Amino acid sequence: MKNLKVLVLLALAFTLAFSVVACQPAVEEPAIEEALVEEPVAEESVAEEPVAEEPVAEEPAEEEVAEEPATEEVTVTVWSWRTEDEDAYNEIFDVYEAAHPGVTVEFVPFVATDYNNILATGLTGEGGPDVAQLRAYGGIQPLIEAGQLLPLDGEIESLANFPAGLLKGATALSDGRIYGVPFGVQAFTAFYNVAIFEELGLEEPATWNEFIAVLDALQAADYIAISAPAKDTWMLPLIHDAVAAPRYGSTEFEAEILSGETDFNDPDYVASLGVIQDLQPYFPEDVVGIDYNSSKTLFLTEQAGIFIGGSFEVGFWRNEGPDLNLGVFRIPAPPESITDSVVPGWMDGSFGVNALSDSPDAAKELVNWMGTPEFGQMFTEKIKQLSAIPGMVPTDPLLVEFAELFAETPASYLTLVNFRYGDPSGSTLLGEGIQSMFLGNATPDSVAASMQEGVSQWFTPGE
Amino acid sequence: MTENSEAKKKPRRKANVGVGQSAPPWPTIIAFLLPAFVLYAVFMVWPLIQSMYFSMYEFKGLSREGFVGLDNFKELFTRYPLNEQLPRAFMHNIAFFVGTMAIQNTMGLLFALLLYGSRKGKRFFQTVYTTPYLISALVVGYLWSLMLNPLFGPVNQILKAIGLDALAHPWLGDPATALPAIILVNAWQWMGFPMLLFAAGLANISEEIREAARMDGATRWQLFRKIELPLLTPVIGIVTVLTFIGNFNAFGIVWSLGGVDGGPAGSTDVLGLVFYRTAFRGGIDAFGLASALAVLMFFFIFGISTIALKKFRKVEDQLT
Amino acid sequence: MSNQIAKKQKFSFADFGVSALLWGYAAVVLLPLMLVLGNTMRTSREIFKNPAGLPTSINFDSYVRAWQEANFSIYFFNSLFITVSAVLLATAVSALAAYILGRYTFFGSKFLLAFFMAGLMLPFRLAIVPLFMMLNNMGLVDSRMGLILVYAATGIPFSIFILAAFFRQLPQELSEAARIDGASEFRIFGQIMLPLVRPALATVTVFQFVPLWNDFFFPLILLRSTEKWTLAVGMTRFFGEFQTDWSTLFAGLVITTLPLIILFLLATKQIIAGLTAGIGK
Repeated sequence: MKNLKVLVLLALAFTLAFSVVACQPAVEEPAIEEALVEEPVAEESVAEEPVAEEPVAEEPAEEEVAEEPATEEVTVTVWSWRTEDEDAYNEIFDVYEAAHPGVTVEFVPFVATDYNNILATGLTGEGGPDVAQLRAYGGIQPLIEAGQLLPLDGEIESLANFPAGLLKGATALSDGRIYGVPFGVQAFTAFYNVAIFEELGLEEPATWNEFIAVLDALQAADYIAISAPAKDTWMLPLIHDAVAAPRYGSTEFEAEILSGETDFNDPDYVASLGVIQDLQPYFPEDVVGIDYNSSKTLFLTEQAGIFIGGSFEVGFWRNEGPDLNLGVFRIPAPPESITDSVVPGWMDGSFGVNALSDSPDAAKELVNWMGTPEFGQMFTEKIKQLSAIPGMVPTDPLLVEFAELFAETPASYLTLVNFRYGDPSGSTLLGEGIQSMFLGNATPDSVAASMQEGVSQWFTPGE
Repeated sequence: MTENSEAKKKPRRKANVGVGQSAPPWPTIIAFLLPAFVLYAVFMVWPLIQSMYFSMYEFKGLSREGFVGLDNFKELFTRYPLNEQLPRAFMHNIAFFVGTMAIQNTMGLLFALLLYGSRKGKRFFQTVYTTPYLISALVVGYLWSLMLNPLFGPVNQILKAIGLDALAHPWLGDPATALPAIILVNAWQWMGFPMLLFAAGLANISEEIREAARMDGATRWQLFRKIELPLLTPVIGIVTVLTFIGNFNAFGIVWSLGGVDGGPAGSTDVLGLVFYRTAFRGGIDAFGLASALAVLMFFFIFGISTIALKKFRKVEDQLT
Repeated sequence: MSNQIAKKQKFSFADFGVSALLWGYAAVVLLPLMLVLGNTMRTSREIFKNPAGLPTSINFDSYVRAWQEANFSIYFFNSLFITVSAVLLATAVSALAAYILGRYTFFGSKFLLAFFMAGLMLPFRLAIVPLFMMLNNMGLVDSRMGLILVYAATGIPFSIFILAAFFRQLPQELSEAARIDGASEFRIFGQIMLPLVRPALATVTVFQFVPLWNDFFFPLILLRSTEKWTLAVGMTRFFGEFQTDWSTLFAGLVITTLPLIILFLLATKQIIAGLTAGIGK
């Protein structure tokens, strides 16, 4: 009882203390910040002085004025959703820092699932990032509409390095300006286990019939033919596009649906959903119970011959299965296809500048550099993904092959590139629809109808 | 119940319970209430009131645009597939609540009864049963998606090992079993909470009443049914209302086991997920729409809880 | 005599059943947790190959990694400071308010109770945006104090709800006697009433402490500088978009959960002590 009395008194004392302290932070916080900022500056001025004095003596006064702010200590904070790339980005930014004395780049990654909220609030008010990794296409629009990003076209030279198609992923629907420098592209097709293929005497299929023959042979040898997850719905639209895009007409269909000549109820689009439905026997049993990680495990542990996946998974295979002998092939076009087979891809995201950044010039200079081949090459080498800058060569042979396949027969990942600008998004409707189809609760017709109904609420053809 | 215990109980409870005393003077009341009121009003109520206000505006990202009245509310019930997801999610919440009451809270009461008295290892069991509650929903979700995994999950492996192959099942991959599985996992995590509350409630029942009943030859079941259960009404009331509130706000556990869409095929979709998707995965106008949904959820949960509490208090009064 | 023996035998048979049930459920609780502990001793690669496998050796590498990579000593201090302050603050102010609301009826008392309870019922995550804007105007973003005040506020509805229910049931004579002796309301509250709701205080403390300790949503948005982060936020660093370092993550989570288990052990003691002391005595 006595203890409790003490506890309560303590608690009350705390309360009082808080009410006093709570009034203070406005005064306290800047004081701390100042102390933090001042120290390095003081150090720097001592260290930099001899360096700074040399040019002063030799070069014209005009240069000196330009030089001064450059050598001033600037910290550019970069926010990202790629926690797994922290080390790689730090190495890349070390190179930038070496070439830009006085500039410190601080890379802060956040958990991907909550990144959108973190960024939206982070770009409001003080203390946010100077440079932010931005989602592509529809994902970037809310930030642009809220005026949280600086337009970069006309400000940044390196945007010229990108093909116009890619820049669409960082372009505002509202004013048509560009708000980010793309960092990467992703492409999607089939990985296969070379050892299993050799064991069974199989080769990369060139036609749909050969593809089905390969799947049958794998199944006959008690392998899972295609490892795929249907518990995580986000993978399903990708698999659909990788396999069945030629059936609905790929880029031709894309142009038609955007102009309003057709919609998702198009018989060819419905038939493309049927292609996926027909493949279900080749997926693992209870595919709707299998999540993304389990589907990767099946392929990693050599229980499955094929994994329909993306260039973003190369790093994972290399880390977790260094001994796996992997190849990639372009999935052949299904029967009655409108176009030849394609490798669908998309711009993965970009880096943009916070409209409230304290050092917008340093931030712009950094994102400008992120559009140069110097960054692009390091990006593809260290992060093991495809750079958005054309001509960058990855070191990983698997990624090189991916890049070649994509370069030969590129197509847009239809729902991500075009149908994520509103709610509900085409990807969500399609993912849910295919999952229901696998459960026997939906048909290709009903899935297509649901997509059309959902998307038409915000999508006006011809815009 | 015997007349003896009835007579003993009735006057005691009525005379003793403190409510209804003449209240202390206003300055004292204010001094007691003010700290909590200020803290709560500024840091919780005010942001919530602002959300309500925001529900009547159009948003573009986080920037507030024009006043749109009730358009956001209308949109909730007309926009496809939201108009189908909302009622479905609502029904799932009700199933979640009923299932949790039937399983988790019944188990909590059962274990509280079994552990009542000076049973050996009481504290050990209480602690063990409450441990899952201490673990973040993240771990619980990962853990049970692993346990129930159709490929490597120990649950199916155990079922097969003991010859129950027929029961081995992709629990989370079948729309028929996914929600029940989530209810069980949720109960696994939370059972300790009602158990402790019931234990406190049981300890509040005076030993004399039990003794009197035993003297009258009441069996264990009669003791429970006629004496303990009625006297636990206030605790049951608290547990019911907290379960209701918890279930209608459920998010983390469903998200980690059923995914953000409440899969498979929406069979585990609940209002918390619909809200999350609308707010954080929606389009440019997401914020206004999500605010409207939150306002509806709030009024529903608040209304039902208030009615339920009143009902329980009435039952309580009738008993005393 | 014979009746007594029969009773005793019957009792021990029932007792066996009860014991079996208790131990059985304890296994249901503990075995999955063992799986987590086991996985902290395996590499991520092993976990990926067989997620539910057993560890091949006893090693604590992942714990060392989690400790070093996640800046545990700093994060631990932050977590402790933020959570303890918030819980103490909320419990103190709630006990005061719950006492008045639980024991007296006065003009507006019912409304106030409902007003406080309303806070239990909203997905408070929604309010993150207005909350963020308000804290931003007050200069409380990226401040531990801001987070403490928010956390304390979120704990108030639950604490008042539970504490008021307990205060309501306390016998009246105690306070009457004290009042006749001329004790002030604060003395009656502090010296007589508060000690009697000790089990409730322990319950409220634990049940506020746990979710705050495990929460990473609010700090992710309200704290900016990594040196102010809490353990739960530190853990999110191990979650990749496509790749998660499971063994390090779970080692980190085990370390994070240990203080909660210790707290809980202390609290059950408190609850049980309160219960055995008996409310009427």
